[in-house]
Amino acid sequence: MNILRWIVFAVAAIAMNFPVIVTLVTSFKSAKEIAMNPGLILQAPTLANYAKVLTDTSRFNIYAYLFNSTVAAFIGSLLALLLTLPAAYAIVRTGTGRKHLLPVVANLRAVPLVVFAIPLYMMFQFVGLLDTRIGLGLILTIVNLPLSLMMMVNAISDIPGEIDEAARMDRAGAFVILRRIVRPVIRPAMVTAFIFGFITAWNEYLFGLMLTTRQAVPITVGASFFFSASGGGVQWGIASAVMVLGALPPAILGCLIYRQLTGSMTAGAVKG
Amino acid sequence: MMRTTPQQREGRLLLAPLVAFLLIFLSFPALVDIVYALSDVSFQTMRAPELIGFRNFGAVLADPEFWQACWFSLRFGLLTAAIECALGLALAIFLSPIVSRHGWTTAILMLPMMVAPSMVGLMYRLVLHEFAGPLPYYLTLWFGTSPAFLDASHAFWTLVVVEVLQWTPFAFLLFHVAYISIPSEIREAAAMDKAGPWHILWRIELPMMKATIAIALGIRFIDGFRVFDNVFALTGAGAGGSTMSLSIYIYQSFFKGGQIGQAVAASALLFFASLVVLYGGALLKSYLERRRIAA
Repeated sequence: MNILRWIVFAVAAIAMNFPVIVTLVTSFKSAKEIAMNPGLILQAPTLANYAKVLTDTSRFNIYAYLFNSTVAAFIGSLLALLLTLPAAYAIVRTGTGRKHLLPVVANLRAVPLVVFAIPLYMMFQFVGLLDTRIGLGLILTIVNLPLSLMMMVNAISDIPGEIDEAARMDRAGAFVILRRIVRPVIRPAMVTAFIFGFITAWNEYLFGLMLTTRQAVPITVGASFFFSASGGGVQWGIASAVMVLGALPPAILGCLIYRQLTGSMTAGAVKG
Repeated sequence: MMRTTPQQREGRLLLAPLVAFLLIFLSFPALVDIVYALSDVSFQTMRAPELIGFRNFGAVLADPEFWQACWFSLRFGLLTAAIECALGLALAIFLSPIVSRHGWTTAILMLPMMVAPSMVGLMYRLVLHEFAGPLPYYLTLWFGTSPAFLDASHAFWTLVVVEVLQWTPFAFLLFHVAYISIPSEIREAAAMDKAGPWHILWRIELPMMKATIAIALGIRFIDGFRVFDNVFALTGAGAGGSTMSLSIYIYQSFFKGGQIGQAVAASALLFFASLVVLYGGALLKSYLERRRIAA
């Protein structure tokens, strides 16, 4: 019976990861081998595609895309955490905002992002944030707010009230309590929220497509440039190498925190 | 005026940054949305929109492409949510003995979710490519023929499979957690009463996972309904608009058509529709809860 389970697991794992496997294999093929052998068994593995992508930056600069994604995702996840941590504390401990603010933010997750994209495009054009990493980071903050808030609310709810009650007796203000008492206790939850936000922000595509053109293009959009490459057909080996490099950071982060991820992904849904 | 306690004042202070951020990034866009939806406006006249009443809404509602996009999104959302949840549930229950013992299996099954959906869309361009793609290669090798996956007639189902393969892990994870958190005493008690495994599954386990199933269906429907990234990266609007989701419709009327007023009107309609669905869902939930308490 368990053998049957392992077989089902293997089939599911291969089917779900099939595009990743194909891309990984193709990234090690030379152009000649791709033309002759589209299959999955490598005949003459080569690192030439990676070398080309990482050294020839004259047309498309992958470092710039990766850098833009890193900065924007960092802003997007850190700012979301900074905004939601005090708010979550207020919601849990004073009840302010529980009735209206919490559901509004939680429901943001369900609103199609494209609805915000057009007015934000206009707004960014007025204030000069179009095609900047900061502008993209600010938008990614919106994307991260719902889950970040829910995760912080859940984490703070788990702290026994007596702990900060005692600090309050000593006349400590909310900000001091937040910094000295709450933060150390919920640090693991903050790390998970930050990493999860970083992955979500890194993988975002629509806003990168609409709000950046040259300077702040993230890797999700930059990767598609390699598909419309020079003249003839797509250079599949090179495009594959780009996609592997672009998918690696979130995949590594995901493997680091996969045990905590289930809870994070459902946080917004279960209590929202 | 109501007296505020120091605690409430502190609470407001702590909430202020988040509220300010939301006001700037959501209220202002909402205002812009309302003005532009009611205006004749293009990229040239963005600073001086001319009010024209509800004509943009009329134009959207009279546009057959809008209804085609609505139909695509609705069908796509319903189908992918149903298939993902059915597969995820089956896998979670069947694989439970090995997954709960070997944690690394979860990591492998959730890897697809870590990859950007737009990248997955691009990856399938390679997977399905008629010369460079392994899938047509193996299908031709083994069966002598391979379908044109991205044809107007096949593209919809190709995209459904693409979406399902990437997001079944999400449903799987939710169900896995719900399944292993059913107390083992309940199963043991049922087994004592000589209930068979199918009976336990249908009468005890599935009813206990009802809430999780509803949540998973809801989340997956929303994400499928508003789909943009993978569809846009793989097929764009598709042949004859055959794979144009609502999100893609709005994007295209904005950037390609320059019909800003119409694009904004369509997104206002979409926003309104999602509010109706959300509040409908919330009302239904509280109704069911009240009925359960009454019963």
